[in-house]
Amino acid sequence: MPADAKHLAARRELAQGISAVERPGPAANQRIQEALAASAADARNALVVGLTGSPGAGKSSLAAALADVARAGGRRVAILAIDPSSHESGGALLGDRVRIDEHPDDDGRFTRSIATRGSGRSLAHVAAAATILVEAAGFDLIFVETVGAGQAEIGIARLADVLLVVEGPEGGDEVQAMKAGILEVADIVAVNKSDRPGAQAAFDRLRSGLALGAGAPELALVSATAGAGISELLATIDDLGAGRGVRGRARRVEAHLVAAAESHVDAQVREARASGALTTRAEQIVAGTQSLTGSLTALFGISETPDA
Amino acid sequence: MAERSTPIRVLIAKPGLDGHDRGAKVLARGLRDEGFEVIYTGLRRTLDAIVAAAIEEDVDVVGCSILSGAHATLLPKLVASLRASGASDVLVVAGGIIPEADRPELEQAGISGIFGPGTTIAEVATFLRANARRR
Repeated sequence: MPADAKHLAARRELAQGISAVERPGPAANQRIQEALAASAADARNALVVGLTGSPGAGKSSLAAALADVARAGGRRVAILAIDPSSHESGGALLGDRVRIDEHPDDDGRFTRSIATRGSGRSLAHVAAAATILVEAAGFDLIFVETVGAGQAEIGIARLADVLLVVEGPEGGDEVQAMKAGILEVADIVAVNKSDRPGAQAAFDRLRSGLALGAGAPELALVSATAGAGISELLATIDDLGAGRGVRGRARRVEAHLVAAAESHVDAQVREARASGALTTRAEQIVAGTQSLTGSLTALFGISETPDA
Repeated sequence: MAERSTPIRVLIAKPGLDGHDRGAKVLARGLRDEGFEVIYTGLRRTLDAIVAAAIEEDVDVVGCSILSGAHATLLPKLVASLRASGASDVLVVAGGIIPEADRPELEQAGISGIFGPGTTIAEVATFLRANARRR
């Protein structure tokens, strides 16, 4: 059986590292810094590609198709598939592997499913740290796939070197393409399922909507399952990624710092809810016995200084 | 689960050739609602693929659903392969149609829990919380 200890040892070490940095704290920070130092020493320069879009647009299939083409070209490819945790139970159903072929004997591939846990956003707090560890493990191309909650969802844009928004054939109209939000920060918009009716029309609508603005993203019409347009899309991704220089790692650290701050605030909010302090304070503010400013300090340690 | 800082991660796998995954999906969804992080891999996975997925996902539990009758062959091989890959602290449990007579041998081979038809999600969840590795 090829799945012996030596064969899987490197993947196991990376996998356990990601689990370790999912628990924030000094030990996690230490591990992330070691990974950064290792990447610097080895002069690594991974390309991080964000994939986002509505559920069912075909992000997992497209990430898998792009990974296959890149791997065939000799690159080491990882997919980080992020799915939401339940607000009710804290559990998560992570099903992206269903659409990603397993390659158990290939150490040039790595797939990890990540739950958003306490994040309350569509990007897990651990996402940036995970890309830092994956890069240090020698992967050249890292796909980070996340459900786009829609127009306000730009966490992935901060993390990715190149952001790909995936649309289905039924995707938006011209006016939606003109709205502020994710399409504004997209580097590429790919209309997937080009083999389905309506895909060309969706592509045309998007093109006419986006053409009206400056700095419009690249557009692609692809089919992940039929393999149409995938090589061309990867070439576009590489073109856009070529200019990133060594900024990529600094961008990932920046995203991690933001995530760490958000994680801290999210934990405070959870605690304030769970203890009832949030509700109590709100009632006191309504009753006029507490001030908003004083409550922000008491609940979250926020001290607002008066406007200058 | 107050004693754990992170959710228990469970890989739900369908090894071999049987194409019935309703039970696996019901369990995956049920465990999600019990607070587990459930990774579902889809139908007809090879043992090597299941082992590699378990390693990459760093799961605490591998749950196999087998309705094909191939459990006596597949499950001991899976346990041996996980152990050989250094994942000896991963709990392996099985569900599906597994005759009573086959159980002692499977338990001997390291299959920690065997859940037949009629097992509730809550029973599975309780077992996993009691027996999954601590971290």
